[in-house]
Amino acid sequence: MKELDLLKKDWNKNTHTFEQVPEREIYGMIHKKSSSIVKWILVISLLEFLLWISVNTIFNADDYLEKIAQSELIVFFKTLTFLNYGVVLFFIYLFYKNYTAISTTVATKELMKAILKTKKTVQYYVWYNLGMVCFSFILGIIITFAYNPEISNLKTQHANYGMVMGITTVVLVVVLVVILGLFWLFYKLIYGLLLNRLYKNYKELEKVEL
Amino acid sequence: MSEVLEQSFVKQLQENQNIIHKICRLYTGDADAHKDLFQEITIQLWKAFPKFRGESKFSTWAYRVGLNTAITLYRKNTRRVSTIDFEKHPFFIPQEEYNFEEEEQLKLMYQAIYQLNDIEKALIFMFLEDKDYREIAETLGISEVNARVKMNRIKGKLKKLLNPQGE
Repeated sequence: MKELDLLKKDWNKNTHTFEQVPEREIYGMIHKKSSSIVKWILVISLLEFLLWISVNTIFNADDYLEKIAQSELIVFFKTLTFLNYGVVLFFIYLFYKNYTAISTTVATKELMKAILKTKKTVQYYVWYNLGMVCFSFILGIIITFAYNPEISNLKTQHANYGMVMGITTVVLVVVLVVILGLFWLFYKLIYGLLLNRLYKNYKELEKVEL
Repeated sequence: MSEVLEQSFVKQLQENQNIIHKICRLYTGDADAHKDLFQEITIQLWKAFPKFRGESKFSTWAYRVGLNTAITLYRKNTRRVSTIDFEKHPFFIPQEEYNFEEEEQLKLMYQAIYQLNDIEKALIFMFLEDKDYREIAETLGISEVNARVKMNRIKGKLKKLLNPQGE
């Protein structure tokens, strides 16, 4: 292709046609903060870890459990909390491992894979937490029905108790689904904006290999 | 990081900065974006520099990090419209000798390249830099055969872009 040869000639001829950035400016640049997508993934992930750790700390069911005063439930929830912290620590370790494995000196496809893997870790972490929210929620309803003395009183006092409880459960489930939906939308948007280009380029590289 | 390391880095980058300018030229459309990408590549190079052992030339190492930054790490959308006036590009200093016909052809060629996607641009960049297919394949993480196939497809695409009627 003769146009390409012409371009190649021009490309190499024009080596010195760029305005040179002086040393002092390069010094300034290396002390500036990066605004790469990897940096953004790190920021979002740290916020994610903080958010869920605070959610777990704030919404503590200890007081409620004390009120119900069922020793087997207290043991169960203590074990669950303990396990949960273990899982969170494991996620943080995984994230750290994947994050530090991101290197700009490897092949482009490998770099993309490493970034996507890091992002996936955080996404699994978020899904795990949302799963725990659902699990706790369902468990909460069951416990309330089975153990809460106030509910037992209601049962004997009100004739249409069943219907009221039914409606309450439906409303709560709808609220839960809406919350999950909002989370899903939020992540779609955030990562969509951040990683759209990466996905496109990754797909393009995969297409080359087909 | 030590001052010696910093000095060594800045000196080598200063000497090899054209390679980064060339990447910025392919992936950005105006002076601001060019400067922005140049800065991001510089930061990424500096971050990776402590692991640079000098097994390869600084320029070879720099173009890999530079390309990876432009294609993968750089956050802003670097693809712009195809009507870029290179003479007005502040980083472009026109040459003395002037051949109108060639210049016109080059302009069209640059505009066609601007319409390629990020991966295609990377292949063209390495082709222009005279890299062989083994190196192109290694840099992108694809096989050598597929790099060749892809390059031929890009040539076809460029031909079509230059001559949409296919005369």
